[in-house]
Amino acid sequence: MKGYRRYFGKKIIWFLITMFFAVVLNFLLPRLMPGDPVAGITGRAVSGMSDASVAQTIYNQYAERFGTNKPMYIQFFTYLKNLAHGDLGVSFSQYPRTVADILGASIVWTLVLQFPAIIVGWIIGNVLGALAAYIRKGFDKVLLPLSLFLSGLPAFGMAITLLVVFGINLKWLPTSGGYSFSLLPHFSFTFIKSVLYHYWLPFLSIVLIAIGGQAIGMRSMSIYELNADYVKYSRFLGIKDRKIVGYVFRNAMLPQITGLALSIGTMVSGALIAEIIFSYPGLGSSIYKGVFASDYPLISGSTLIITVMVLVASFAIDIVYGFIDPRVKAAQNE
Amino acid sequence: MKNMLEVKDLTTKYITRFHEDVYAVDHVSFCVKEGKSVGIAGESGCGKSTLALSLMGYYFPPLHYTSGEIIIDGKNISGMSPDEVRLHILGTEIAYIPQAAMNALNPTQRIIRFIEDVIRAHQPKASKKDIYDLARKRFEILNLPADVLQRHAVELSGGMKQRTVIAISTILSPKVLIADEPSSALDVSSQKMVIKMIRDLMEMGYIKSMIFITHELPLLYNVTDDIMVMYAGQLVESGSAKQMVFDPVHPYSKGLMDSIIVPEEGARDIKLAAIPGTPPNLKNPPMGCRFAERCKYMTPLCKAYAVKMTDFGDVDENGSHQGLNRSYRCLLPVHELKASYESEAKGGAAI
Amino acid sequence: MKNSLAQVFKSGKFLVGFSIIVAIVLAIIVYPLLVPGNPLEMIGVGTFFKPGTYISAYDAVNSRSFYTLNLTDAAAKRVASKLSDADREVMLEWFTLFFEENPGDVDLEEMDINDTQTLVTLWWETYDPSIRFDSMTSAKRKYIARVDAQLEGILEDADVIIAAENDDGTLSQSSVILGTDYVNVSDIASVRILPLGTDNFGRDVLKQMISACRTSLLIGLIAGTIATLIGLVLGLLSGYVGGIVDDVIMFVTNLFTVIPSFVLLILISFSIGQEQRGARVVAVVIGVTSWVWTTRSVRAQVVSLRNRDHVNLSKLSGHSLVRILIMDILPYIASYVIMAFILQVCSGILAEAQLSMLGLGPKTTQVPTLGLMMYWAMAYAAHINGAWWAYFPIVILIAIISFSLNLMNTGLDQVFNPQLRD
Repeated sequence: MKGYRRYFGKKIIWFLITMFFAVVLNFLLPRLMPGDPVAGITGRAVSGMSDASVAQTIYNQYAERFGTNKPMYIQFFTYLKNLAHGDLGVSFSQYPRTVADILGASIVWTLVLQFPAIIVGWIIGNVLGALAAYIRKGFDKVLLPLSLFLSGLPAFGMAITLLVVFGINLKWLPTSGGYSFSLLPHFSFTFIKSVLYHYWLPFLSIVLIAIGGQAIGMRSMSIYELNADYVKYSRFLGIKDRKIVGYVFRNAMLPQITGLALSIGTMVSGALIAEIIFSYPGLGSSIYKGVFASDYPLISGSTLIITVMVLVASFAIDIVYGFIDPRVKAAQNE
Repeated sequence: MKNMLEVKDLTTKYITRFHEDVYAVDHVSFCVKEGKSVGIAGESGCGKSTLALSLMGYYFPPLHYTSGEIIIDGKNISGMSPDEVRLHILGTEIAYIPQAAMNALNPTQRIIRFIEDVIRAHQPKASKKDIYDLARKRFEILNLPADVLQRHAVELSGGMKQRTVIAISTILSPKVLIADEPSSALDVSSQKMVIKMIRDLMEMGYIKSMIFITHELPLLYNVTDDIMVMYAGQLVESGSAKQMVFDPVHPYSKGLMDSIIVPEEGARDIKLAAIPGTPPNLKNPPMGCRFAERCKYMTPLCKAYAVKMTDFGDVDENGSHQGLNRSYRCLLPVHELKASYESEAKGGAAI
Repeated sequence: MKNSLAQVFKSGKFLVGFSIIVAIVLAIIVYPLLVPGNPLEMIGVGTFFKPGTYISAYDAVNSRSFYTLNLTDAAAKRVASKLSDADREVMLEWFTLFFEENPGDVDLEEMDINDTQTLVTLWWETYDPSIRFDSMTSAKRKYIARVDAQLEGILEDADVIIAAENDDGTLSQSSVILGTDYVNVSDIASVRILPLGTDNFGRDVLKQMISACRTSLLIGLIAGTIATLIGLVLGLLSGYVGGIVDDVIMFVTNLFTVIPSFVLLILISFSIGQEQRGARVVAVVIGVTSWVWTTRSVRAQVVSLRNRDHVNLSKLSGHSLVRILIMDILPYIASYVIMAFILQVCSGILAEAQLSMLGLGPKTTQVPTLGLMMYWAMAYAAHINGAWWAYFPIVILIAIISFSLNLMNTGLDQVFNPQLRD
């Protein structure tokens, strides 16, 4: 038990440290750029506005918020204080809506879309990869290049292809949005049906991409494990092949879990772009809108939320992993 | 005394990626009597590990059975289907201790779960409790702490892992135990413990006979009754441990005895210092004596004719024929070879 | 070294990937020589011209010589090209209603509406403007009447008269173009082949794509080189020196492994601002945010090499740190570094594309990149408008580049890690 406690303790400390640095980076990066960051940020936002007084208001408001005239550490504490209150600032482009308000609406969409899609893709990918490793021959010959192609296809490429084929040519599924334009979000059967109908394409595009990458990883892991000494030894003790395959896949699967914790950031970023293609009302689209309107508070808020999501996800995976892989415990006792 | 293991003209081959046949075990015959142990020595790559695998009668690519018979306690297993072998032979009749015990255990499984899998593969109805009792008793006898059973392999030290593997391999009291360099990767004290453990198992009757494979011929003197030397897929000499260690006849065995290899990491890669050259390519082995190219005493005839294993009169000092026959595979007469060795030892030149 | 190089080129997977990349590089070099000019030139006025050969209508009409060709199928083709899919659907609708009231032996189920001849023949036989179906709206009736009139217009053998303005402002006939008049394409002064049409700004997609491919590959190379260099240096130091250096480097590396690099890319790119963001700047930014994987794998390799005999020997001989790293360690991890580099190039290209899709790519006026082309195609809804040529070739090109690089990598992996072989 001691080993586990140490493992989880380490993971929690590490989680807090990464969280802290993520926040610091989110704070620091825009401020490190040469020139007056407030002028740069607001300048871009207001470049299209004709009303000079509005531009000046935004500049003043933001200068105060940023606190550029104060030393960096004071700025940082102000930033932390605002964060603690859930205050991510006011959006430039959707003034006077707050960023927290805008993101609060979109984060649900992103979570509901990406979380199941990544899990499903991970599971299918692992099963296929394991089969490819076990069967080899024909299945492998087809699956490996296909997976390589799938994982090489950028997420947006998959999204566009699915959209054009199933949405525009076959007209099976809608091409954009998270729900029908004629509806307002509310809790009803019609609305949920519409959401599910709009869910398929973005979901599929993320799943397919995830399958490719995971299948390749699982295939090499399984081949590696199939050649492991314990496989040969178990065989020579008369244990059935089916049982041995069980050992192998369990062992090959475990590194895939940590692999997921490490690659979830990449997967999420790909999926964000897929959201844009489908005009899905999630965080990806929020960033897109933010960039389009040079809405700094919106972008900064979105990136922070995404980072936090990814950190929490990989932390959760690490914790689960700790429970199922005994090697973790052993490593801590050394 | 009855034969526990009888091997007749066993030939197995590897089929490479390029569909070439490599005969790693080439017409090997010998037998092991009840209560006896036989050592097999040879350089790495001589086919001794392949022989160990082949004796199990359970083949998977790239290793393939070609011809010959393996008879375990009167049962001919060569004609059995792989599934019959798996169910009735492996683990119960013949068991195996692998070379690298470090990785022989599934790292993510508790030892007791693995033992359950092993026993249930042969006795599907065995209860958890019976299995646990059996395992605990066996571990106790072998001086292994019982709490090892609840551990995962990753939590055990190297020596402990090796001893656990030995305990698991012999849990079903097999008639023949094949140990493939079980001690080569261990430190000296662990090595001794492992060897003592195997001898205990023999003495207590949990195993009826044993084959011990190593590249260190001298080590076998303390471990086994008889010794065979293997070269390029064939046996080249056999006899009692004492004869083989103190009085080797075949030039290759002689060389093997003369070169003492210190057991350390990477030692398996060291070619015999005393015998220059490398073994022949088994993709197409030479027609004549396979050792001819490296032999100091080679005559033109050696390369022309295939040589057979020949018995020669020397019987065991007890005068009994309980162990292996004293035989060798060389065209030169025994006395000539011995004379050369003697004159060499005195500083003279080879004949 | 020579031996392993030979082995690498024996690997089928590597060879396929390598050949595709070489072919793409050749295309990048050769195509601009064949079709010179600025890839960003807006030649088309209007958006998304479809792929094909464009010949100047002015030059065609004013061609020096007309040739008379009596082609029997010319009229049929003319009709076929004029009848839109919607027209054909409407005609079929008419037939359905007509045969409901006047049963005949025509099998409408079997009818192929793309078979213009059958369609038009049947039309002549059955259509009568005086017939009125109750179920048909008057709008549709009028539409059908228009289709009929159009059909008659096409089939009428009228010539086209070209008129020119006289000095006094009146029109006078300058020439007549007959239905059998043809011009030879080689007589026409201005012909432009647009194999992939034009984009939303009227730019030649193929030309732009070749140039974009070059920029994107360069971005990948620069980003990959930077990432590999950083990763290599950090990995070597961390793995070989160990101790506090290792701790610090691994702390930073682990930190950036979990903080998504894409987020950093967005923040940095946005902070730099559109004006400062050239292709090279974007490449550098991608490079400095994506070195973590290389660091990790290089470190793991170095740790396993650190205590090898030849390294210890060098250490005892008093060789400097740099010399040991370069002479005794680097050669052993070279294959891993190359593999990591290939993957970095690949992810660099993808990162640029993704960044551009967000609108944070290189500034748009200087050079085209694959990501920017995607961005504009999406911004102008090419996928909704059916302008597949504006985005699909790019998706395919990115996929092919990334597929080939991955294939090369897998091939190398199989050569250097024999377990993965078949």
